[in-house]
Amino acid sequence: MSERVTHEELMRYLDNEVGPEERSRIETSVETSTELRRELAVYRAMKDDLRTMQLHEGGDNGSIWYAVNRHLARPLGWVLFVVGALVWAAYGVYVYFTSPSFLWQKLATGAVGVGILVLLASVIWERYRVWLTDPYRDIQK
Amino acid sequence: MGPEVERELIRKCKAGDSRFYEPLVRAYEQPGLRLALGMLGNLEDAKDALQHSFIKTFETMARFDLSRPFGPWFFQILRNQCRDQLRSRKARFRLEALDERLELRPADPETGPVRIRERAKAREILWEALEKIGDEHREILILKELQGFRYGEIAAILEIPEGTVASRLYHARRALKEALEEIGAVYP
Repeated sequence: MSERVTHEELMRYLDNEVGPEERSRIETSVETSTELRRELAVYRAMKDDLRTMQLHEGGDNGSIWYAVNRHLARPLGWVLFVVGALVWAAYGVYVYFTSPSFLWQKLATGAVGVGILVLLASVIWERYRVWLTDPYRDIQK
Repeated sequence: MGPEVERELIRKCKAGDSRFYEPLVRAYEQPGLRLALGMLGNLEDAKDALQHSFIKTFETMARFDLSRPFGPWFFQILRNQCRDQLRSRKARFRLEALDERLELRPADPETGPVRIRERAKAREILWEALEKIGDEHREILILKELQGFRYGEIAAILEIPEGTVASRLYHARRALKEALEEIGAVYP
């Protein structure tokens, strides 16, 4: 490497990040130094080949926006669902206890509700246990 | 997209309205995908990183300083996401996938079949060398050569002083040259 041109200066020159004065000074040094010329030629050739490379970006698979938007909209959907479900549940409990229906009707309705909850909980629990013991759970599909 | 329009869209997004995020996503998804593909080496992981980065960007939009440009901020988030994925066992730079995705630019001035084959082979060798040099060297070369960013932009994305960019590029290029020599490639 020439004493007058540092590696960093050579990089800035190669990448067109120098002012006119610095460019002129580096060019003078390059002209008088075979070593610098060779080094510059190697980096320039690498740069050219890297720049002419183009990566295949998967063709026209549509914008990623739809996937992003689905994710961004999800929290709002959950909030609305939970709030709505809570309101209906509260109303259901109120109707259940204040309704003049027969006791057997209330018990049957309560059994259906509790049964659905028990089934749901058991499915969730089963799926969780399978997931815990799945040896392939960390393997990406 | 002009900087004023971009700033206005970000202002709306900061208020939490994701409808105004769509033009930003569409404007940055192609350069973002190029960066992620260059860093991760395969399309599936690259798209995954890109999607996560856009979501993270929107979620942290409230902290974004409107006096700063959006691009470097987003690419910084994307670069960190790619690095996280590389660190995890979920993804690693996969040369095999990348090789299949090499293609020549339609406007390639060198049209002779032998020359095109030679150039394609040279690029394959380059990618093989890029895999060897490690994530830090590869990311700065991708930012400079594939994305065409200026030193100031690279400094902002990598969160390093602008004066360090030339030095980092020198070390990356030297590492690439040595990796090419190890492969047995004579360059140029």
